[in-house]
Amino acid sequence: MSVDPDTSPLAEVVPLGRVPPVACAVVAANLQAVLGLPTQVVAARQMPPRAHLRARDQYDAAPILSALRSEVESIRVRVGVTALDLCLPILTFVYGEALVGGRVAVISSARLAAWPHGTAVGTAAGTAAGTAEEPGLLYERLAKVALHETAHALGLTHCQDHGCLMAFSVGLEKLDSIHLVFCPACEHKLVVGR
Amino acid sequence: MSEPLRVLVIDDEEAMRESLAAWLRKEGYRVSVAADGADGLAQLSAGAFDLLLVDMKMPGMDGMTVLERTREVRPDIPVVMITAYGSIENAVTAMKKGARDYLLKPFDPEQMLLVIERIVGHQELVRENEALRERLRQSARDGVGDLVAGSEAMVDVLELIQDVAPTDAAVLITGETGTGKELVARAIHALSSCAYGPFVVINCGSQSETLLESALFGHERGAFTGAVSTQRGRLEMAHGGTLFLDEVGEIPSKMQTDLLRVLEDREFTRVGGVKPLQSDFRLICATHRDLPARVKSGAFRADFFYRINVLEVRLPPLRDREGDVELLAGYFVEQIARKLGKTIQGFTSEGLRLLCGYSWPGNVRELRNVLERAVVICRADQIGARELTFLASEEPDAMVPMTLREAENSHIRRALDAADWNITHAARALGIDRVTLSRKIKRHDLSRTK
Ligand SMILES: [Zn+2]
Ligand SMILES: [Zn+2]
Repeated sequence: MSVDPDTSPLAEVVPLGRVPPVACAVVAANLQAVLGLPTQVVAARQMPPRAHLRARDQYDAAPILSALRSEVESIRVRVGVTALDLCLPILTFVYGEALVGGRVAVISSARLAAWPHGTAVGTAAGTAAGTAEEPGLLYERLAKVALHETAHALGLTHCQDHGCLMAFSVGLEKLDSIHLVFCPACEHKLVVGR
Repeated sequence: MSEPLRVLVIDDEEAMRESLAAWLRKEGYRVSVAADGADGLAQLSAGAFDLLLVDMKMPGMDGMTVLERTREVRPDIPVVMITAYGSIENAVTAMKKGARDYLLKPFDPEQMLLVIERIVGHQELVRENEALRERLRQSARDGVGDLVAGSEAMVDVLELIQDVAPTDAAVLITGETGTGKELVARAIHALSSCAYGPFVVINCGSQSETLLESALFGHERGAFTGAVSTQRGRLEMAHGGTLFLDEVGEIPSKMQTDLLRVLEDREFTRVGGVKPLQSDFRLICATHRDLPARVKSGAFRADFFYRINVLEVRLPPLRDREGDVELLAGYFVEQIARKLGKTIQGFTSEGLRLLCGYSWPGNVRELRNVLERAVVICRADQIGARELTFLASEEPDAMVPMTLREAENSHIRRALDAADWNITHAARALGIDRVTLSRKIKRHDLSRTK
């Protein structure tokens, strides 16, 4: 590692394949606001072909992370954003994945656009509550997953504080119950590591 | 949970092994990996692990063999088998051979976490239980913790507790008020085979017959006025654990018959219900009464007495526990002072003389109450005669100038302290009724100093 990370305190958001620009903008805005890192959305990249698991029609997060790692030394953290469904060979799906302390993370919006009880956003049951709220909820979830995985990439592991962004969340209901903030202990770790 | 859980992943497929390891590391676990059974077992014998995740299908030594070997050398380490869809039979065989759980790959992250949490929860219980066991052993040796025992009388009790706990026999704990009967019941539960089950307490002396019946047996909705919803009773709640009947001597005769039937058939019905319910629990009872005498006089049913008194643990009164007052006093003062954020270095020699010279009719509970008050009013760094004036009144010299009114005041206060300010109990001890006692408390302007 030849470049001192302190001289380039930058976070990069990389669209992987076709991603709505607003999704990347939301992620970048939250990284900058909550983590205090100047963040920029860079040019889109292709999904690494070897990440595609044909039999499952899903994308293995591990090869994506290793592809994102190239030249990461020049920045603080790089976050890939995709609309495709992520998984690990051993797990049926993940919302996102990161290398702990490895400065790279990848997140997916594929499983975030559903109401907690399995109704897809935008269907009749969903719209009853008011249409304006639905994209808002999706982006809030995306921001939470992005901050969670980015904190992993910066070296944090999970937190026992149920309201903290680093509390583990599987299931959208749980994800919706956590706040869009880190608890003081995790906040402290992030500041110290900055 | 400060120490991270140490997990060993044994899987021949690199992608599976590494992705699982990476994910678990993210979770905060300390993870080691092995690419085959032989390497896994070698790591197992060289290092410390809390959990093994083993793939069923591996070339060379398969997962089942790894499981068997692990059970032989480290039966304490839980093993979770990972298996492909379509080979559930293998998973079932593995469970029979002692695997704690299995996962069908690929699995949901949520499912994985549930399995681990269940195991961690169980491990923590085991650890807690071991810690308690160790504490009891320690207590027997050098007297630490709430069951302080320096005296021979109390060391004998602790040894007896360890002997009776693993049997499933009903235990009757006898001893004066304030000797710590519930503490002993809890210790027996914690050391018993149903330690993982609930510990359910009911005080049979503090409620009316109807309330006691419904508390024990539960009731169906509408069984009586006020029964607005169906309620489970303590008998039901204790299933798989321990039922502790405190003040068992106060149970009315008719209910003794009902309970006897429950103990014999392990079956009962809720008040107002018809459906027979089953409950399996260990029974521990406690009383400060002389039950054999009550049996003889006909006030207590003999058959019920023999059913609850399979094993007896007799707690000695504090005055018979030589040296324990000093040990307990030191322990309590430290505990209370820490709670109140005060620094108090034990007792002056005069304070200690007063403590050891007093007869402690209310036993450990009275000692605790007296010290609680002493710590609160203590302005020095040691507790001395000033904080224990009330004990001095028992000394012959101090007795002389006391008026009858003063004597009554002091006597009532002592009875209340001994009963932990339970008016019913104190009234019973004084041989007067509750109303009279309440009137006297008001007249003497007594209140709990805390
Ligand atoms: Zn996480
Ligand atoms: Zn936290």
